Amino acid sequence: MDMLVMGLCFTLIGLAVAMLAFVAATRPETLRPAEQPEQLAAKPAAARFFSERIAIPAAPAPSIHIPVAALLLEIENHVRLEQAAAESFVAFPSHAQLHSKTTSRFVN
Amino acid sequence: MEQKLLNGLSPAESAEVLALGTRLTVRSGGSLFRLGDAADRVFLIERGRICLSFPMLVRGQQEDILFEEKAPGETVGWSAMVPPYRFTLSAIAPLETELIALPREALTAYCERAPEIGRRISLNLAILVGQRLQLVQAMWMREIQRTVESRSQPAAAAR
Repeated sequence: MDMLVMGLCFTLIGLAVAMLAFVAATRPETLRPAEQPEQLAAKPAAARFFSERIAIPAAPAPSIHIPVAALLLEIENHVRLEQAAAESFVAFPSHAQLHSKTTSRFVN
Repeated sequence: MEQKLLNGLSPAESAEVLALGTRLTVRSGGSLFRLGDAADRVFLIERGRICLSFPMLVRGQQEDILFEEKAPGETVGWSAMVPPYRFTLSAIAPLETELIALPREALTAYCERAPEIGRRISLNLAILVGQRLQLVQAMWMREIQRTVESRSQPAAAAR
């Protein structure tokens, strides 16, 4: 009889340990759903961010939307820079002077 | 004011040449001549500034693009001395500007009467025209070089 009671106690203790272990093991799983909404919310935001970033250079609109006055200013600045470069070349003709790169935003 | 077109002339000779012309004032923002106009006078800048511009179509609208800025002592409108006597740029005064306008006929007649002065003026004019030619040539060569580079870049990248 004693042996039976001892076996039953061991079984109950084992069962309790198993349950505790199960609860411990499954607790993070139960927490994840709570965290998931945040991650899910963040992911679409990131996707939108990247999609928007990609959409900007894909559209040729920026150059079109430059005001005419600003464009004219760029052209004028370009002509001045090119004239200065040409004057340098005329003063000291060389291949380097002729092929020197311009910093003009109009062509870069 | 020492005028580049009259370099090498004595003050008396310069005064004689200048006496052929008429003094004129262009108000700020005023036009001195437009591209395509008949050119019968050379202008010597005494005071102020003259902007030379050329027309460019920008988004379907014609806009004047600055090409060169001329200061006192410099000459504009030398198309009046070169056939077919038509201005190839437009000139406006960004600020009130005083000039001496020398009529072609009076100047050429004077140069025929005084060949030595005529030779010096012709030489100064040749320098003026030559400098413009060299400048435009250099600008054109740089533009062609840029076009060559921009066209060869995609081909090189494809290899």
